[in-house]
Amino acid sequence: MCGFTKEARSIVSSAAAVNVPVKTLLLGMGNAILCDDAVGIRLAKYLGERLAHAPGLSVLEECSVGGLNILEVVTGFDRLIILDSIKTSGGNPGDWYRFSGESLRETMHLDSVHDANLATALELGRKLGIKLPEDRDIHIFAVEVQDNITFSERMTEELERDFLQYAEEIYKEAAELVS
Amino acid sequence: MSRKISIDPITRLEGHGKIEIFLDDQGAVEDCYFQIPELRGFERFVVGRPIEELPRIVTRICGVCPASHHMASAKAVDGCFGNEVPPLAHKLRDMYYNAHYIHSHIAHFYALAAPDFVCGPDADPAVRNILGVVAKVGLEIGGKVIKSRAQAQEIQQMIGGRTTHLVWCLPGGVAKGLKKEDLEKIKPMVAELYDFTQFSLDLFRKIVLGNADYVNLILNGPYNLKIHSMGLVDENNAPNFYEGQVRVVDFEGNEICKYSPPEYFQFVAEHVEPWTYLKFPYLKKRGWKGFVEGIDSSIYMATPLSRLNVAERMATPKAQEAFEEMYKTLGGKPCQALMAAHWARLVEMVQNAETLQKYCADPEITGENYRVVPKQITGEGVGIVEAMRGTLTHHYTCDQNGICTSANLIVGTTNNNAPIHMATKKAVSSFIKPGIEPTQGILNLVEMAFRTFDPCFSCATHSLPGEMPLHVRIHKGGKVYREFRRCC
Repeated sequence: MCGFTKEARSIVSSAAAVNVPVKTLLLGMGNAILCDDAVGIRLAKYLGERLAHAPGLSVLEECSVGGLNILEVVTGFDRLIILDSIKTSGGNPGDWYRFSGESLRETMHLDSVHDANLATALELGRKLGIKLPEDRDIHIFAVEVQDNITFSERMTEELERDFLQYAEEIYKEAAELVS
Repeated sequence: MSRKISIDPITRLEGHGKIEIFLDDQGAVEDCYFQIPELRGFERFVVGRPIEELPRIVTRICGVCPASHHMASAKAVDGCFGNEVPPLAHKLRDMYYNAHYIHSHIAHFYALAAPDFVCGPDADPAVRNILGVVAKVGLEIGGKVIKSRAQAQEIQQMIGGRTTHLVWCLPGGVAKGLKKEDLEKIKPMVAELYDFTQFSLDLFRKIVLGNADYVNLILNGPYNLKIHSMGLVDENNAPNFYEGQVRVVDFEGNEICKYSPPEYFQFVAEHVEPWTYLKFPYLKKRGWKGFVEGIDSSIYMATPLSRLNVAERMATPKAQEAFEEMYKTLGGKPCQALMAAHWARLVEMVQNAETLQKYCADPEITGENYRVVPKQITGEGVGIVEAMRGTLTHHYTCDQNGICTSANLIVGTTNNNAPIHMATKKAVSSFIKPGIEPTQGILNLVEMAFRTFDPCFSCATHSLPGEMPLHVRIHKGGKVYREFRRCC
């Protein structure tokens, strides 16, 4: 298991310069009763507890909205850490990846299923003058999942078994961001 | 030698859908299947749980219309506890639900429908989205869209405590009432929302009705079906989204049936096909007659357009004006032009705003009698509401201890499964012809056929990249001879 996109740490310079805690939102995305789709929520709970004393950190463990709704959730924050699931072709369950907000731009031209997607919503919000985190301050950690269409309160075996391992790895990277 | 075109998965569609198109030697459409390959199993998942938990669980079925599931579930649970619900609780639920409708309809119209009309159905997919809409109509309108959606959400928050994953409805009513100070905050927002509904109608007139090609596409294109309409109505046969009777009217305007929620199984049955997991509801008393149009067909649709088709009038005055204008322009009522559903959403939104105005002026709305503790378990309940994308039925049974023993759900899109299949086939046959290669624009025209139903086949599944890319494969002689992707 590895984070294969090792981007440079972003620096939120404006806030750091005056020693004001950067307002960070830790966001768990997913559906708690949809098998592996819960992994983002489980991670947010784990990381939220581990990072409870990080300055300026807010945690939203369970966020199941997207599109234009997400604007209302992230407005006013300087930095965004998203914990989510991902399905890639040939990916191994439990592998995790790290993306930046800039990489989301690649999908900006897409429309979402019932709304605008995250990148489109953020772009629209910025055009409208809403205070939102810059792309470089959006950090996405996504765990490869196997089953996100079956109703279940447990994740699949591999994701349950290896949870502490990948959660700890992601925690270390998130801790660097908010320390 | 035949060839096959696969559109898999479909964009702008919740869940994984797939279209299989089979062409003959000349390139004409032989057949078309709209398939849903996912298996769900939610109805089994809830068996054995306390019945009062279901309204809190079912919101997780769908991140698109969680409030619809919450309301239908709450009403089914009310039935299991003998329907001891005070009138104020129904008013508050209805008030919440009308605000929910507004936020949902705004998102659908501006983020999903408008790109096809404002940017054009054959526009580059890179600009055919809400950013493209804002680029064309201006930032000011984009700001109004965002503000109005946020206001509708804030109203829900103040009434029900949450906008998503509600835990507000309880057996016997709701968990909290509406504070007087919150009502005072809601009133000016409702006034602005009403103005926004009028603004949206004006925009539709200018952009869609002002373009002869679009009007022609709506009225004379392949996007029409001679099938019947379903919708929830009040005692005056006006649309009601929260409660009433289900009315079904044929495409000539004659009432086929009208039933109360507990009677639903006498009127609706579900047909199964071996090539999809999703069932095909039909009018039970007519029997399954296949995917056929016509006055004797047993196929119905449950959409914003069908809700207006079954209505004899709107419940509020300005919505009535918009209703009359729409049908006058469309050449009469009922209307089979499926794309008119986008207009119907805007008409509904006017009624939603006027209904909110009515509740704002209701002196009882901030009252305290919003819940009673039920004294009995009667064991069975059926809750029906109009989800934004179709009639939604929840039917539960429980034992004497209130433990769920069965659950049956007929969701909005399931009602429309057969019409979506038929509309897609009709569009495919119209746009894909011998000698014409399926371009991105043509494929979008095909997708527009089912997008008008705003279909939703899954729940709040969320995995990156959070999109449903379009993958088209053309098969010839058993091999893929051409393949292209859009947005992936």
